[in-house]
Amino acid sequence: MIKARGLSKTFRVHKKEAGLKGSLRALFVRDWKTVHALKGVDLDVGAGEIVGLVGANGAGKTTLVKALAGILHPTGGTAEVLGHVPWRRHNEFRRQIALIMGQKAQLWWDLPAGDGFLLLREIYQVPGDRFAANLKTLTEALQIGDKLNIQIRRLSLGERMKMELIAALLHNPKVLFLDEPTIGLDLAAQRAIREFILDYRRRENPAMILTSHYMEDIEKLCERIVLIRDGELVYDGGREKLLASYALHKVLTAHLRAGEAPAEGPARPQGDSGVPGEILEWNGTQVKLKVPRSEAAAAASHLLQSYPVADLSIEEEDIGTVIEAMMKRDKAA
Amino acid sequence: MIRYLRLYAHFMRFSISKALEFRLDFFFRIFMDLVYYGIQIGFYQAIFMQTPLLGGWSRDQSLVFMGGYLVVDAISMTLFSNNMWMLPVAINRGDLDYYLVRPVSSLFFLSLRDFAANSLINLGFAVGILAWTVLRLPEPPHAVSLLLFLAMLPFGAVLHYQMHLVSLLPVFWMGSGSNLHGIFYSFARCMERPDRIFTGWIRRLLVSVLPFCLMASFPARVFLEGPHWPILLHFAAVITAFFLFIIFIWNRGLRAYSSASS
Repeated sequence: MIKARGLSKTFRVHKKEAGLKGSLRALFVRDWKTVHALKGVDLDVGAGEIVGLVGANGAGKTTLVKALAGILHPTGGTAEVLGHVPWRRHNEFRRQIALIMGQKAQLWWDLPAGDGFLLLREIYQVPGDRFAANLKTLTEALQIGDKLNIQIRRLSLGERMKMELIAALLHNPKVLFLDEPTIGLDLAAQRAIREFILDYRRRENPAMILTSHYMEDIEKLCERIVLIRDGELVYDGGREKLLASYALHKVLTAHLRAGEAPAEGPARPQGDSGVPGEILEWNGTQVKLKVPRSEAAAAASHLLQSYPVADLSIEEEDIGTVIEAMMKRDKAA
Repeated sequence: MIRYLRLYAHFMRFSISKALEFRLDFFFRIFMDLVYYGIQIGFYQAIFMQTPLLGGWSRDQSLVFMGGYLVVDAISMTLFSNNMWMLPVAINRGDLDYYLVRPVSSLFFLSLRDFAANSLINLGFAVGILAWTVLRLPEPPHAVSLLLFLAMLPFGAVLHYQMHLVSLLPVFWMGSGSNLHGIFYSFARCMERPDRIFTGWIRRLLVSVLPFCLMASFPARVFLEGPHWPILLHFAAVITAFFLFIIFIWNRGLRAYSSASS
């Protein structure tokens, strides 16, 4: 559904020195700098896929999303979304996509969301019965049906974002671009929106590209992760593969049998050379260790032999930590 | 076309309910325009204490011209002005992003989405003033001339909007657009003067590339001096030319916007 080949984008921006002096100088003399926001990006996204686009600020995430949504004209390369060249902006293409930007509102500030939805119905020419059914499903899923007649400016940030999501989905888009859809929201609202996105996928099977700074969004929503750094894709693959190839550690958690361990906890393993890695937690009932992947099995067997273990689990490192480490490593490289 | 009319009906409905919500602002704007109308009438009365003719028109004829430009101004205020004020902001802030992903003309949306309900009431006053100026003419008007006059005034408003938009289009390349309104409003005063008071190249400019004298003077001349085909054709040609010019520049502007956007 989405296909990009060698997509590149360069901007010319002028550099300004700080302060009034810099501003005065820039009035007459401009130092131009060429910024390569995208450098030959290849990307394919199929129906039903949610691709998590991850990268630091300024890495090129939003530029890539905007190019694929047709807002931005790339400097080079090709792209096809639903068989259309996005930046030609054919109505047929625009009728089938949706864009949500967490930092920019699309609904009119002074109008109740319900009115904004009627306008969108007209814009996308959604038949009356389908519109009513969609609106019912979407408002019920987000539990916000009772707020349709309240002006957007009187809604909380979370409620506003829910309305923005509904606005974007009323026309059953086949391709969705979600740029920071949970930014600034509290945990409950983030969770509601994540569940909603998964529910929408189950029903409509769209292709989605999601950018977020919240690793939990990426972890809960995306089986596939695309890592972008300085305009280049440095990783494109499954979440599990990312962990398998790049997670350097595993986390072992052992629950100890009550009563059998000393009250102050098992002896701390100073001098216990059998405990590898880093101790994250060590008390009377629980032991948590971070160990190199290759030594996880040995560490587990050591724990089982040396302590009264009731239950043991071995988990992958938090994906956010892995991605952060990868980005740091790439920067250093 | 029908889809756009339906969209416009939504714009009107939303704008009216929004305007009614801010009561004080609603009445204040009506009051401000009434002051403006009073000043215009006073201005023409004062001029005709000094001279019997202005640009070839008597006091009664000049008042009809004035009634005409008040209507042009009121239509423009009702349909376009609020939108034109917001347009550079929308382009600067990147709000255009959402308009570009919608299957609808971004120019249509940004030009017409805000319908000024309070100005609609002022349009009623302006039409009343025009009717008063027509009725006090010494001779009853010809029906055809009157109909043409009334038909041309909305197009005068379209031209007014076109010129405002043209003055704002550089915002696509400049990045900041707050000074552009100033240029437009300086020129827009020429609309409030009969075209014949200008002579030479200034007049040629004001009826061609800066057609401020076409907006109200040409409709008034058709009414007061009879329908001349050259005037009607000239009027239609300029509006059509600016329409095509705007579409062309708008598309270039969108390209520049999408190249600069990040």
